[in-house]
Amino acid sequence: MIDRVVALGHLGLTVVSSFGRSGRFLAGVLLGVPRPATGFPLLIKQLYGVGVLSLAIVIVSGLFIGMVLGLQGYTILSDYGSEAAIGQMIALTLVRELGPVVTALLFAGRAGSALTAEIGLMKATEQLSSMEMMGVDPLRRVIAPRLWAGFIAMPVLAIIFSAVGIWGGMLVGVDWLGVFEGSFWGNMQSSVDFAEDVMNGVIKSVVFGFVCSWIAVYQGYDCVPTSAGISAATTKTVVYSSLAVLGLDFVLTAIMFGDF
Amino acid sequence: MGSPAYISLKDVVFSRSGRRIFDGVSLDVPRGKITAIMGPSGTGKTTLLRLIGGQLRPDSGSVVLDGHEVPRLKRADLYAMREKIGMLFQSGALFTDLSVFENVAFPLRVHSSLPEDMIHDIVLMKLEAVGLRGARHLMPSELSGGMTRRVALARSIALDPELIMYDEPFAGQDPIAMGVLVKLIRDLNSSMGLTSVLVSHDVPESLSICHFACIIADGKVIGQGTPEELRAHPSEQVQQFLKGQPDGPVPFHYPAAEASRDYGLSGGAS
Repeated sequence: MIDRVVALGHLGLTVVSSFGRSGRFLAGVLLGVPRPATGFPLLIKQLYGVGVLSLAIVIVSGLFIGMVLGLQGYTILSDYGSEAAIGQMIALTLVRELGPVVTALLFAGRAGSALTAEIGLMKATEQLSSMEMMGVDPLRRVIAPRLWAGFIAMPVLAIIFSAVGIWGGMLVGVDWLGVFEGSFWGNMQSSVDFAEDVMNGVIKSVVFGFVCSWIAVYQGYDCVPTSAGISAATTKTVVYSSLAVLGLDFVLTAIMFGDF
Repeated sequence: MGSPAYISLKDVVFSRSGRRIFDGVSLDVPRGKITAIMGPSGTGKTTLLRLIGGQLRPDSGSVVLDGHEVPRLKRADLYAMREKIGMLFQSGALFTDLSVFENVAFPLRVHSSLPEDMIHDIVLMKLEAVGLRGARHLMPSELSGGMTRRVALARSIALDPELIMYDEPFAGQDPIAMGVLVKLIRDLNSSMGLTSVLVSHDVPESLSICHFACIIADGKVIGQGTPEELRAHPSEQVQQFLKGQPDGPVPFHYPAAEASRDYGLSGGAS
């Protein structure tokens, strides 16, 4: 019994100290703003790495998810003779929920894990230490550009995901299943509100981008510098990011759309 | 030692993960000389370099570098101080996404506003000093272990530091690469007037180039002085380390229970 209490206490201390360390780490990254002349090229390079290189998976996933939504939506709505509302259903589902959430999950799997592995390997091969000993702060030089790049790239990727998904839904609903194109776009236009639906979706993706990037860079920076340690950190990035995204999505949805 | 100390450690105590690494270590590193810090694997030689460079803080005691109490320096001052320090890491620690040229140019680009043609010339001069001017276009993955350390050495002297710290520079090197590194360390020290701290457990190579040496074991300094003084040191532990004897004050066997108990012979012979 005593052992269980001790183990529980130890677990609590470990979790609290981990939160404390990640908070201090984040403050160090956010307060240490790099000089624009050096920081901007590094940011552009990372935007390419985490943003542009994630485009393929985001576009392909968005297309298929939109097509599946079109197919499922048509099957269900046609039972009630409401297949004309398929455009509205696809757009609201993508813009409010699936766009930000699925993009964030894809981002954690592709870019987040890569960030963790890259930073972890830099730590294991003493590249971060050597940078420190050269009088260069790795938080500013290595971590900050990666964190900001994730933060900026995620909303853009989520918007692209939703746009491609809507196009995929149209391919199935209009071009394949024969829903009238005017109803498809007209219903969508009249029911999707820019401020309430589109902007709330963007806000969600901004929050997810920040959280996923923070988790990814922190796990890399804090990992045990061995092959097993980097492997564990990469796994943690994907698991923690996914859980954080799904949990935060519920909270944000309740705040944004829960008219209780 | 004659020369004024560039680095001075006094009663340094340092523990990590509940294990005491240093238990009152005191030593001086004279200015402009090569000081070798030797000791068995796992005694914390690299940790000592990290304490000097301010990457770790001691539990107690003082670490003074060029008149500055390193653990008390503010972050900005610490980073400014490190611009005067070059460090050669055991792995080389080259940036794997940059070419040899860009690795050596890195500290110059970050810490100076020199024009590109001047950076180009300085980088080539530093690479020439380590014999690798012709390898400037290679990537770190294309270099041998010895070449990696020579490039890392060129990078560590790019800013003409006052102090250079070598972490196990000879570990895992073939005889030719080791000879090259010994020559480079000696030549750099004499031509640039550097203060050098050399951490190693390669006794012959270290004693052949150092002016002073210090042996650390069990968290303490067990012997220090010139190479000749160390060779004549009365401590059995120092002699065991210098001569590489397998048994002595540092036992061959890791502490264990009675062999008869481990082999299940607890009854014993009558």
